[in-house]
Amino acid sequence: MADPATFEDDVMPLVPQLYTAARRMTRNPEDAEDVLQETLLRAYRGYRTFKAGTNLRAWLYRILTNTFINRYRQQSRQPAEVELGELEDLYLYRRLGQESGAARSAEDVALERFVDEDVKAAVEALPEVFRIPVLLADVEGFSYKEIARIMDVPIGTVMSRLHRGRKALQRALWDINERRGTVGTSA
Amino acid sequence: MKHSCDRALSLAQRYIDGEIVWFRRIRVERHLHRCRQCDEGILFERRLKQRVHDGCREEIPMVVYERLRAVLREYAQGDDPAR
Repeated sequence: MADPATFEDDVMPLVPQLYTAARRMTRNPEDAEDVLQETLLRAYRGYRTFKAGTNLRAWLYRILTNTFINRYRQQSRQPAEVELGELEDLYLYRRLGQESGAARSAEDVALERFVDEDVKAAVEALPEVFRIPVLLADVEGFSYKEIARIMDVPIGTVMSRLHRGRKALQRALWDINERRGTVGTSA
Repeated sequence: MKHSCDRALSLAQRYIDGEIVWFRRIRVERHLHRCRQCDEGILFERRLKQRVHDGCREEIPMVVYERLRAVLREYAQGDDPAR
């Protein structure tokens, strides 16, 4: 059992990481702060139930995710499942390769020219059901097992949503690239 | 595309995430040694994952951090039975 007296010392160092996830989940700074504040207060109230020595970071992300989903669903009533359609493997790699022609490393050069705002926009374009597993895996570095616990879904569901979410992310990046004409010209 | 490429790509996500059992990992790596196209494609996916990781970071403004801490302290004080 964790001691509420140590809550601030235990949890505040993790707030900067939680803020990144909250920003990408909510897509704006005001909502991110609101969701994060509610997360911290909920976590404080529940801290006695947290088993000291277990995974505090995953526990906090679980509260953050639940807080976000509860708020978001209330606001938008967005359906839980979204159809993305099928995309081939290596979607972005193949398109960037076709665009650039001969040089084989051109895909990597093109990738480096996506600016951070492109990456954020592509992640934020994902429907929530795919955005959360992509964030938890690729940005926060959680394992499939941890993500399954955070989202309260089976591991197979995590893998499938991650797979589809990453493909949709590649399509979103490709769309950004197409709209711009050439990758990175606005950077 | 060959059947072996399909099989390697179907395991690519778990391979990149380090969530693959050792004998499947060896099978994927054996294929990547032989197939330059898949090797480069999977390397690209790995770099893309890193790019998403780096590009999504958001610095918390100090004023927001301090505001959150203040709210938490105020809430904890109100909750303190010794008060």
